[in-house]
Amino acid sequence: MDSLQIGSYTFSSRLILGTGKFSNSTVMLDAVRASGAQLVTVALRRFNREQAEDDLFGPLSAIEGITLMPNTSGASTAAEAVRAAHIARELSGSPFIKVEIHPNPQHLMPDPIETYEASRILAKEGFLVMPYIAADPVLAKRLEEVGCASVMPLGSAIGSGQGLATSEMLNIIIRESGIPVIVDAGLRSPSEAAHAMEMGCEAVLVNSAVAAAGNPQAMAEAFAEAVAAGRKAFRAGLMQKSGFAVATSPLTSFLGTH
Amino acid sequence: MLQMITIDLNGQQQPLTPGSTVIDLLAVIGSDGKSVAVVVNDCIIRPENRPSHLLQEGDRVELLIFAGGG
Amino acid sequence: MTTLPEWLSDNRDTTALAAMLSPASSQSIETLAAESRAITLRRFGRTMTLYAPLYLSNYCSSGCAYCGFASDRKTPRHRLEPDEIRRELAAMKKLGISDILLLTGERTAAADFDYLQRSVAIAAEEMQRVSVEAFPMSVNEYRALADCGCTGITIYQETYNRERYEALHRWGPKKDFIARLETPARALEGGIKSVGLGVLLGLSDPVQDALSLYRHVRHLGRRYWRAGMSVSFPRMRPQTGGYEPPFPVDDLLLARIIFAFRIALPDTELVLSTRESATFRDGMAGLGITRMSIESRTTVGGYCESENEESKEKTGKGQFEISDDRTAKEFCAALRRQNIEPVFKNWELSYNGPSSSITLATQPKKEEPCH
Repeated sequence: MDSLQIGSYTFSSRLILGTGKFSNSTVMLDAVRASGAQLVTVALRRFNREQAEDDLFGPLSAIEGITLMPNTSGASTAAEAVRAAHIARELSGSPFIKVEIHPNPQHLMPDPIETYEASRILAKEGFLVMPYIAADPVLAKRLEEVGCASVMPLGSAIGSGQGLATSEMLNIIIRESGIPVIVDAGLRSPSEAAHAMEMGCEAVLVNSAVAAAGNPQAMAEAFAEAVAAGRKAFRAGLMQKSGFAVATSPLTSFLGTH
Repeated sequence: MLQMITIDLNGQQQPLTPGSTVIDLLAVIGSDGKSVAVVVNDCIIRPENRPSHLLQEGDRVELLIFAGGG
Repeated sequence: MTTLPEWLSDNRDTTALAAMLSPASSQSIETLAAESRAITLRRFGRTMTLYAPLYLSNYCSSGCAYCGFASDRKTPRHRLEPDEIRRELAAMKKLGISDILLLTGERTAAADFDYLQRSVAIAAEEMQRVSVEAFPMSVNEYRALADCGCTGITIYQETYNRERYEALHRWGPKKDFIARLETPARALEGGIKSVGLGVLLGLSDPVQDALSLYRHVRHLGRRYWRAGMSVSFPRMRPQTGGYEPPFPVDDLLLARIIFAFRIALPDTELVLSTRESATFRDGMAGLGITRMSIESRTTVGGYCESENEESKEKTGKGQFEISDDRTAKEFCAALRRQNIEPVFKNWELSYNGPSSSITLATQPKKEEPCH
């Protein structure tokens, strides 16, 4: 079976869902169920007695087959991210941690230096580190080197819906990586998710595209189908693109008649 | 009159009876403690230690839950 | 029998290469040449890096069926002493050479690691870039070589077909297929900055060997991602041993393999030696090959002008016959006629030393003298 392997975890779904930005938790839970996602991200937030129903741990854990992947959103330094990771693991029991450090609230671009430092520390502590990064091929290899379980390069800025703007860099990362590459952020449509899978990504992480859709539940289903289709196509071996140039005068006459 | 102690709870002042434990705090603020992480002065207080962990004047307490996020 | 590593059969991204090399391929040689040329131009420009080989010794402990230097061959054995090495280097420098490849046979008492290390140190004093094509070494030995100024290791698997490999390497340390296979990784682990891989075309099914070679390059590239890689295409030539290659590769197939490699590995240096004819080399320059040897002597030493009959007897016949025996001047003129710039120096001494990497950072630097 073609399952996604991360650490000792095996997932049949290659769609990872984010749980933010939904209008309410009922809509979000319906979308998660509809998507078939087995890995979902959550954020840490202060308990607020006036909003006690915001707690997702109980409802999410109740969905069959779900593993939580807490993120370190809110942290702007490695130290804060490491602290958040410890708290998150305490709460969820899950070894997964999405290292997400974006100090600039305007564009939410990830800080590569803090991310590297946090990942290095957390990987040593036995976390399954899933670092969220810009599509930087060298950073991806350095994170692999320090023991991350995957790399999660962005397709475009969080919530921007600009799709796979980084596809050239993604191609390099996918080609060179020894660990799963998971595109995270910026996807808008299921076709983009399918494209990412066709390129060789092992999974995609989608949040805004589902939460902000007219019908999040239906959109979640569409994404699930697209991810499966894209993966199937990748495994089936896409035909070669012929973009070959044609020289004006023969280049190989020195090889004799052929 | 009983002298209350004050702790910093999630950035806000919270009065408590002296000798309160973490469990007592959770009861006061209406949390069942099941899906809450408790951090006192940067130390994570595990569920099994909550009944015995006494809170002191000026303690910084963070109560955290999982909420939606990408 | 040790199991073969997984990467040797990894088909993760071999589809394109396999399609280009398949006998049923619809892609004409002219189409592949055009694409290969376009990629070479984009990635490497119109340049050709030039180097020359210096055989330090033809002593050998192995019995490769196809080699003129095999230990059972009657060729006179000789090794260069330090003063001879210096004279050879001086002669090579006069020809404009500043990038050299030092060669020895398999490890012997006469030409062992210490001899090689001393020779590398001498060469590093005179040459801008020193690479080595010798016997497989340990990680620590490679680190010592890197410390002494070696920045490249060339080691050909000869063939990735285990059965064929074991039949051809009749005795000696080279008989171990897996040990040979793991050698480039050891070199990189030891901090050598680049490795050169290749198969000896003609020994086995060339298409299968080409695919395995590609897998090897990709595997090493993922693991040692800071490393430089090059691929050579040595083709069996008539040689002093009289071995007939069972899978002869003609010009057309060799060209196809080279073009396919350029297309599949756009950033990898592709190397052609003077085994090949002037016509072939001139044709391939600019179409995919980015590095070539010049002025080659495949006898021990051989560059000194003071070569007389006596020393010719000492050095004996070369490892293989040279096909392109043009001088550096003639060859460079030919390149320039094709609008290709010959590059003699493509390295800087300050780049010497072991590669920096996480694994190496934890190793204490060995402070051992090079001489």
